[in-house]
Amino acid sequence: MCTGRLDPAIVAGAFRQGLDGLLTVGCYFGDCHYITGNVQAKAKIDITRKVLKHAGLNEERLAFRQCSSGEASVFVDLVSQFDEKIHSLGPLGGAGDRVKAPEIFKKLETAEAALTSEKIRWVIGKRTPFLETGNIYGEIFTEHEFNRAVEMIIVEETQVQEILGGLKEGARSVKDLAKRLDIPPERVFRYITALQRKNLVALQGVNGRSPVFQLTA
Amino acid sequence: MPDKRENIRIGVFICHCGSNIAGYLDVEELEAFAKTLPNVAFVVRNLYTCSEGGINEIKNAIDEQNLNRVVVASCTPRTHEPLFRSSCAEAGLNPYLFEMVNIRDQCSWVHMREREKGTSKAKDLIRMGVAKAALLEPQEPIISEVHAARALVIGGGIAGMTASIALGDRGYEVVLVEKEERLGGMLNRLNMLGPTMTDAGDMVKEKIETITDHPNITVFTRATVTDVDGFIGNYEVDIETKSGNEKVDIGVIIVATGGRLFVPEGLYGYDGRRVITQLEVEEVLGRGLDPAVKNIVMIQCVGSRNEERPYCARICCQTAVKNAILITEQNPDAKVSILYRDMQMYGVENEEMFRDSKVKGVRFIKYDPARPPRVEEGKVSVFHSLLGREMDLLADLVVLSTPVVPQEDADVTSKILTVPVDENGFFLEGHVKLRPLDFATDGVFLCGSARFPANIRETVAQGLGAASRASIPLSKGFVVVEPIISVLADEDACRGCGLCVALCPYSALEVRDTEKGRKVHVIDVSCKGCGVCAATCYQHALSINSFTDQQINAQIAAFLN
Repeated sequence: MCTGRLDPAIVAGAFRQGLDGLLTVGCYFGDCHYITGNVQAKAKIDITRKVLKHAGLNEERLAFRQCSSGEASVFVDLVSQFDEKIHSLGPLGGAGDRVKAPEIFKKLETAEAALTSEKIRWVIGKRTPFLETGNIYGEIFTEHEFNRAVEMIIVEETQVQEILGGLKEGARSVKDLAKRLDIPPERVFRYITALQRKNLVALQGVNGRSPVFQLTA
Repeated sequence: MPDKRENIRIGVFICHCGSNIAGYLDVEELEAFAKTLPNVAFVVRNLYTCSEGGINEIKNAIDEQNLNRVVVASCTPRTHEPLFRSSCAEAGLNPYLFEMVNIRDQCSWVHMREREKGTSKAKDLIRMGVAKAALLEPQEPIISEVHAARALVIGGGIAGMTASIALGDRGYEVVLVEKEERLGGMLNRLNMLGPTMTDAGDMVKEKIETITDHPNITVFTRATVTDVDGFIGNYEVDIETKSGNEKVDIGVIIVATGGRLFVPEGLYGYDGRRVITQLEVEEVLGRGLDPAVKNIVMIQCVGSRNEERPYCARICCQTAVKNAILITEQNPDAKVSILYRDMQMYGVENEEMFRDSKVKGVRFIKYDPARPPRVEEGKVSVFHSLLGREMDLLADLVVLSTPVVPQEDADVTSKILTVPVDENGFFLEGHVKLRPLDFATDGVFLCGSARFPANIRETVAQGLGAASRASIPLSKGFVVVEPIISVLADEDACRGCGLCVALCPYSALEVRDTEKGRKVHVIDVSCKGCGVCAATCYQHALSINSFTDQQINAQIAAFLN
């Protein structure tokens, strides 16, 4: 078992259930008993942090640090500093976070869904190859380029999950979703079309002149 | 699968560990607390749960209390999990229905002055352990047969020859693949081996004869391994030889591909005649040094310990000193100067050789890499960094000490075997201290300069070691693997996308065509259970035995409760 086992969705789920801070301490790179598990763990935590930050959580609540099993004093320092930090931030959804409770818990539910989604999981999994060996065209990304792409994907994926969440409550029109979720209608339409193609959303009927969509069973 | 309707009955054993736990935590409170937890049928405190009395108490309780899960709250699974697991097994309970809670190393020992907080943390830990225990499922160890008790040794240098002979002598069949026409590798080009001054030619001849006459060793020269398929005990290997392609069944693989000497093209006027490498001076000394060559200057760290090759190749210093001694022996009035940055002369014999060289008049001059020596016609100018002044040295011959670098085809070998190389391009062992001759992937071993520049003595030791390691699965005939590994828990959910395959550090996953379409398959003997795949799968098709999403979530919920 390795820090690489840490599932981003489980992390988001823990915060949704009221966790105030999570410190992951892995081995140093090159020192991992599971070769590259810690590299995967860092990739997972880094992107999870971005998703949670987008949801309104103070990003310092989720940390990835490194230390060897022989470095007791380093470990104590890491834990003490993190503990102090979390105490200074206070409970989740308070003064320390951009979005307050109970709103933040709703947002974290969406974040959890986004972190379970195919797209973000691919992005996490491909981080190391994209930065080191390149994509199938041999293009290597800089960390800056990669992060920019990630930010965009996070915004989109969160909105997609919000739409799916909205539709879970019942069938809705594009206009209705746009208003409820505060997403521009043309974007909602674009997402809905993509979700239709994936067979996740279907046309339920037409209300007046607006098509109404629902989740496929 | 366990019967979902079965009545979960958890027994919790709280260890005092003498006073290690009981001295700092309120164990009576812990006992009372454990009794309140869901599914807990029995709680007891022991002075030492690991003592014979404690173990018997576990066994009796499993029987008398009808326990089907056991939780021990004590020291650390690092040392005691195997013991408690086997105690459960002896009492007829599947050993994987055991969960350990660490309330000593991670609790009482670190909170010795915080009795209340420590006790409260121990409660959290026990609550989490009990929550997980309720969801544990029985597991069976995975046993895989070794179908081919035959070893493949890649590389016929001193490392590969030593390993082959060791395995062959033990009665195992060995297939030795060498890419050159002749066995021996770098040893063929060496003269005398320090510090004992053994004749390299005699050594290589003797090894080649032993191998050629060995009934258990099949040698392919001018041959390469082109493909390796399978896993420990069950490899299928394609070898391209000069007389056609061979396909052999193999049980274990030893990588002994060695290294090569860096050729200093364009450095210090290297020309292979007046300015040569240490390897070339070996050949010169083998033939006999021209008596007209009186002044020899050696320059250390040529092409190493720089930005491009940051490592110290370790063996060039001892080689230079050894060759300097041999030069003074062949031409007693020769003057040898060694220009160095730092002398790397580890080991008693090397230190002795170093002292001996000074007695024989070899001169050592420390240079500063910022002001490197300059090789000119008939002389070398150097800034003596200890004296702080320029000096000119007469030079009939300049010898450059260049590092051993990885083989040019190391990356090809690395891809064929799916084993890693380090930042310098050398093969990377499973663990520096714990598995120095194994790769992380079971069934593949390494030795010699393929790992890192090694002298003959070290290479022989590593060759013997790798052979010993490789013989374990061959002699046992089977491999037992802990069942805490990845499993395709939900085959229908898997889409065969291959994301997990790309991330697996052990090549333990592959996508196969099945009746239900493309599905991932876990090669269970190769899996180490790191969990990267399960944490990656967006379909939650993969799971890790004893660390399932449900079990982890139950622990988190218990903690946050």
